[in-house]
Amino acid sequence: MKKLLTLGLAIFVIAAFDSCKKKEGDQFAGVDGDYVSGTPLPDRIDGANFFGGNVVRGQFSPVYFGYDSITVSDSELMKLEQVASAVKSSRKTLIIAGFTDDRGTEEYNRGLGEKRAQAVRDALISMGLSGGNIQTVSFGEEMPADPGSGDAAYAMNRRAEFGVVK
Amino acid sequence: MKRLVAFLLILPAVLFAQETITIRKGDTTSVALKTLGGAEGAAATKVLQNDLDLSGWFSITPPERATYLIGGSASGGSLEGQVTDPRGGVVLRKTYSGGLRAAAHKFADDIVATVTGQKGIANTKIAFVSTRTGRKEIYTADYDGANLKQITSDGSISVAPALSPDGSKLAYTGYQSGYADIYFVDLASGARNRIVKFPGTNSGASFSPDGGRIACSLSKDGNPELYVMGANGGGARRLTKTKGVESSPTWSPDGSQIIYSSDDRGGPQLYKISAGGGSGEPISTGYAYCTEPSWSPDGKKLAFTARSGGFSIAVKDLRSGATNSLASGEDPVFGANSRHVIFSSGSSLVLLDTQNGRQIPVVTGLGKVSEPTWSR
Repeated sequence: MKKLLTLGLAIFVIAAFDSCKKKEGDQFAGVDGDYVSGTPLPDRIDGANFFGGNVVRGQFSPVYFGYDSITVSDSELMKLEQVASAVKSSRKTLIIAGFTDDRGTEEYNRGLGEKRAQAVRDALISMGLSGGNIQTVSFGEEMPADPGSGDAAYAMNRRAEFGVVK
Repeated sequence: MKRLVAFLLILPAVLFAQETITIRKGDTTSVALKTLGGAEGAAATKVLQNDLDLSGWFSITPPERATYLIGGSASGGSLEGQVTDPRGGVVLRKTYSGGLRAAAHKFADDIVATVTGQKGIANTKIAFVSTRTGRKEIYTADYDGANLKQITSDGSISVAPALSPDGSKLAYTGYQSGYADIYFVDLASGARNRIVKFPGTNSGASFSPDGGRIACSLSKDGNPELYVMGANGGGARRLTKTKGVESSPTWSPDGSQIIYSSDDRGGPQLYKISAGGGSGEPISTGYAYCTEPSWSPDGKKLAFTARSGGFSIAVKDLRSGATNSLASGEDPVFGANSRHVIFSSGSSLVLLDTQNGRQIPVVTGLGKVSEPTWSR
């Protein structure tokens, strides 16, 4: 009986997964409907707020970017090794928050910040982390690390920060 | 002698070269505005005069030189307006209600429509972001800056407002959940719903001309891409598929096409795509950095933020292809008449007449103001 239940559950899960997949495919206007880039994000964890009390920030050094750039440089990649090994062993969910300096228009910067967070996420996935445990959010030019202006402040603000969900 | 003549011919051009704006007489119709009668006449006249001035279509002159005479009376929130020609022929006579300011705005728009055949901008609303409270919150106001209302009190980050074309609904990006979500507000009832909350960043909503759909930027599939969905947030369809960042969709007048910004090929550039999907077709502008486009309601022009040293408001004529930089600032949005844009410039929102270059600040004194949106 137990076995039958398990089997039933398994079939149900597969069916649910299958229909879910199909639904996702239907959302795309493109002919082929595949993902050209990036790995889809996992569902959110309700109540996990990057700047809230249930997320530990500052455990890892931020990754910094050049002006209008989404490239994770070789020196910044080394920081990610540490993040990858820590998260791999803790199996906790990671939120990567992307930020920009305050030059440029706000909405473009929101997109740019998200792209930075996703570039870091992609790099972590390529280091063997599961994308299913890594979420992203962009604050664009909000919440600067250095509220000043000038090149030194701008450089501090073009960043991706890490938060570990408790 | 020939040289002297040439010099004399050039001289006025040199003398007037510093004058950036030349309003030719033929561009405006002369009208005389007689102070309206009634208890609210003086106040309504003030609103009306400002509307007529900002419209750019009129010069206000003494009655003997005017092509049209404007008069009427206002009291108890309604206005009886009248436009006559010099021989006393009635061109427009109508009663307006809805409060002193609204009535005056509606009268102004009818004067514009009657005299020029164009749509007016006076009876419209704007929404924008202000840092007045120390946080970014969304506010609405009339297009002339009056009737200021704070719409959000989230104490978080509330940005990227978009008014529906009829001004009844507002979409914005809010961070209350810790992520960037799109909220919808029914402005009449105040009812608010978090309606787009996919994983990642959901932002930059833009209503279709009929108000029935929104386009926005979602990152749920691993990259910020454009999507179109119903105005209730349902049935998201992906439009773009690139490795770059797609943002700031703006709709064609018939709702069949969308222009947006993408940095897929380096710096952000403008592209056009079918609202049903397909591939983006580049729009050349001559600028290496172009963001936050706004398509004029008549479909003929495109305003956007361009970077060349600082940031400036550029307008491209989509038929001739000519692009001109008209002012320094960011985030331009076209008004109902396809002639004026409102843009942000640090601590003010500025009304820019793209026909004569005139700039009038309409919102000031609210901290840093940004991301204006304008009902049509």
